[in-house]
Amino acid sequence: MRIELDVELKDKPGQLVKALEPISRLGGNLISVIHLRETLTKRGRVPVHIIVSLENPETLETLLTELEANDIWVAKVDEVRRKKRFTILLIGHVVDTDIRDTIDRLNNISGVLVADMSLSMPHPEKETSALMDLEISNPDKLGAALDELDLIAREKKLTLVKSLEI
Amino acid sequence: MRINLVGFGVIGKGFAKTLIMKRDWLKARYGFEPSVVSISDITGTLVNPDGIDLSATLETVNRTGRIIDCPGATVMQSLDAIRGVDAELMVEVTPTNVKTGEPGLSHMLAAMDVGKHVVTSNKGPLALAYKKLRATAEKKGVQFKFESSAGGAMPLINLANEVLSGDEIISIKGILNGTTNFILTKMTKEGTDFETTLKEAQELGIAETDPSYDISGSDTASKLVILTNAILGREATYSDVSVQGITKITPEAIALAKEEGFVIKLIGEVEDGSLSVAPKLVPENHPLNVDGTLNVASFTTDLAGDVTIVGRGAGAIETNSAILSDILSIYRSGAGR
Repeated sequence: MRIELDVELKDKPGQLVKALEPISRLGGNLISVIHLRETLTKRGRVPVHIIVSLENPETLETLLTELEANDIWVAKVDEVRRKKRFTILLIGHVVDTDIRDTIDRLNNISGVLVADMSLSMPHPEKETSALMDLEISNPDKLGAALDELDLIAREKKLTLVKSLEI
Repeated sequence: MRINLVGFGVIGKGFAKTLIMKRDWLKARYGFEPSVVSISDITGTLVNPDGIDLSATLETVNRTGRIIDCPGATVMQSLDAIRGVDAELMVEVTPTNVKTGEPGLSHMLAAMDVGKHVVTSNKGPLALAYKKLRATAEKKGVQFKFESSAGGAMPLINLANEVLSGDEIISIKGILNGTTNFILTKMTKEGTDFETTLKEAQELGIAETDPSYDISGSDTASKLVILTNAILGREATYSDVSVQGITKITPEAIALAKEEGFVIKLIGEVEDGSLSVAPKLVPENHPLNVDGTLNVASFTTDLAGDVTIVGRGAGAIETNSAILSDILSIYRSGAGR
């Protein structure tokens, strides 16, 4: 079975190998890899178009799961968009205001997942910043996720900076 | 064309300088010979039905700061000059006030009332009373132009309404304030905190002594209201805008965003009928990522797709590029000759 994948890699060395390794391990035969190094996506990632032939179609799901576990985002499979990702930034006492609760409240919305998060804590008493990637598998839930974020920011007195696309 | 000039601060003086600089060119290119017959500021009015000597007036006011010190000036108030000194057009460039719109609002209504065309860079009256101003201009059969009030030298309103007149504009988003863009750019490049960077901007004369109007997002919000009304045909006012400023942005947040390929910019945006001003994560390679004091605006249209324009949003001469283009557009339409 021939599959076309559009994936997005972090703009760091070694990422392409990380994307290709599970394909060969799962018995896939690479037909073409187009690495668009010069054109970063809106989210600052490197888009890669991969065409692969899989002997056993059932390995596709395993492959996608492995790729995503390695922080390789799968944007499209055979031209079908899988999930949308959005980035948001929270500034303030992000950790002290129960960051676990913030994440849980977002994850509790079905079709919404906090897929990635980085924190910057200059000093325990100073304000913290958290950059979060939200993965939206159900586009109808974007509004609900944004409403919840607005509510969290208000309740916890955090500054919410959304990305331009939302 | 005879002009009442009301307001003689940075923009008013810039207008006088622009007319001096472009006098021969305007005559050669368009046969246009504007004549400023009155100049008013808060201290009084200088009148000359045959045209005021702009160079001499600039020389005096640069020295004393007051129109009343010019030879022949009287304590005549601006409203009396607008009503009483014959002219075809008024240029209104008094300081803006987003709470009351005054004195600009009264000046504009008075000028329209006596049948004068109005050209202004004054945001306050437009953000508060656009509907009333538009209706009065229509009722009195005069033209009302304000390209310079939003985006400075960038020809946004004319671009949308004239050049792209066959397109429906679906959304507008952009950086409409140079001071906040300067501060955020500097914080991004140098890793400095907000307070330090603001002080530096004040020392450079880029931020005002009282910077709250810029950094709170109010200035951007006023301009967004103007663009929304003029381009999308709405009747929005300042209170319709959800406004968040840049004072809470930290250098750590900027650095974190940068690691993921984003910069933080103060974006004014109207989309699906809602108006907002807020700091946003903008991808580094996005057309809205412009640095320093530059402004930028992007229209999403039904036919042309995205159209983006970058330019100087402030400055005495830059702003007068837009004022002059409004005056010329009125002149060339056959009105006010």
